[in-house]
Amino acid sequence: MTTRFSRALAITLAALSFITAPAFAQDTIKVGMSGRYFPFTFVQKDVLQGFEVDVWNEIGKRADLNVEFKTANFSGLFGMLEAGHIDTISNQITITDERLAKYNFAQAYVVDGAQIVVKKGRTDIQGIDDLKGKKVAVNLGSNFEQLLRKADPNKEINIITYDAGFEQDVVLGRTDAFVMDRVSSAQLIKKSGLPLELAGEPFETIKNAMPFIKSDENKALIARVNAALTSMQEDGSLSQISQKWFNADITK
Amino acid sequence: MNFDFIYTLELFPILLKYLGVTMQMALLGFVFALIIALCVAVIRVFSVPVLNQVSIVFISFFRGTPLLVQLFLLYYGLPQLMPWLVGMDAFTAAVIGLSLHFSAYMAESIRAAILGVDRSQMEASLSIGMTKLQAMRRIILPQAARVASPSLMNYFIDMIKSTSLAFTLGVAEIMSKAQMEASSSFKFFESFVAVAIVYWLVVVIFTQLQHRLEIHLNRAYIK
Repeated sequence: MTTRFSRALAITLAALSFITAPAFAQDTIKVGMSGRYFPFTFVQKDVLQGFEVDVWNEIGKRADLNVEFKTANFSGLFGMLEAGHIDTISNQITITDERLAKYNFAQAYVVDGAQIVVKKGRTDIQGIDDLKGKKVAVNLGSNFEQLLRKADPNKEINIITYDAGFEQDVVLGRTDAFVMDRVSSAQLIKKSGLPLELAGEPFETIKNAMPFIKSDENKALIARVNAALTSMQEDGSLSQISQKWFNADITK
Repeated sequence: MNFDFIYTLELFPILLKYLGVTMQMALLGFVFALIIALCVAVIRVFSVPVLNQVSIVFISFFRGTPLLVQLFLLYYGLPQLMPWLVGMDAFTAAVIGLSLHFSAYMAESIRAAILGVDRSQMEASLSIGMTKLQAMRRIILPQAARVASPSLMNYFIDMIKSTSLAFTLGVAEIMSKAQMEASSSFKFFESFVAVAIVYWLVVVIFTQLQHRLEIHLNRAYIK
């Protein structure tokens, strides 16, 4: 009787450890992204890929995290973060004072600038001062809107927010220009072959990082992510990922 | 403008792979909406005390606010008030949102159909000893169903297309796939033509089914 009991106990324990063991071995981190920001995060032939995906797969390896990607409309990502459906957003989120007040950021992994893009051949727009009285498109929920408003205290720029497709509207002439970060603007023009060009120099340096909800658990998580990012910066693998997608190093 | 037909054709297998998600949302949403709508309509017709007032507020809210706002409240807002709701996935939230939103409209259309059945039908049922609920179930609702079916089909078609809002919550349905493929290939026109055709075909198929259903419901009225 006792042997039967102890055998049953042993089997139960073994089964229990089998069920719970994987949960202890690796923590899962849910990373939200739009899947619509070429070449950072995009879907081609039904495969999610891009700079952000590569960076996170490498972070996952180094920090021993199981990375789960969740795609949603950009305008929905911060809501998902707030509601706890995702742990962080990896979509070139720029560090701003407003966001710093609300979120803890991991260390910056991309340094970039805000860039004005116009239809090819247009010469009247060369900088932010030329945008007065013009229609300028920005992505809904992105921080380029705030950057523009800051540079335009008299509200002379007609800023239009888009959910998608603003590059098409600039080509069609419905809007005069759009503002997006320099790197993806250049990449968009190269990849799409659309008749667009960069107008002048970037007007603001921006640092991009991944935001987390402020909490004690997340502090430990951010430390793990930061350690992975530091080692990736030191051994050059972060630069390599950047070279792969942009033919340039945007991480410094 | 040169239209890339090959690209549009290549998109169909990808879209069809996710059509299941779209249809599951629409069908589940419709079944739940129908159940809720039926209850609300019957409560309204009988003017059940308290429940009637609750139903009026329910219809007023879910008809009076946009579906997208309701989805946002459900998926982003409620988990902040009730943390246990964080576990609810986007698909579930979308189905709940669609059910509640459309049930408000459908309840009114079912109520209209019930009121359209001649009052003498209820009186005759009561006179042979049926209870009000029995009369409703056996006599009134079968007749009301025939009247309500075209307008309910309208709501179902609307619901199929409204599932495209679920991408804002992160559900991988056909609209989200079309948008994501378009954003990486920059072939917006081609992608949206493909997704429009898929929606249209689905609606055509269901319109055919509705036609058959109407013949079935009409069989007692054909001499």
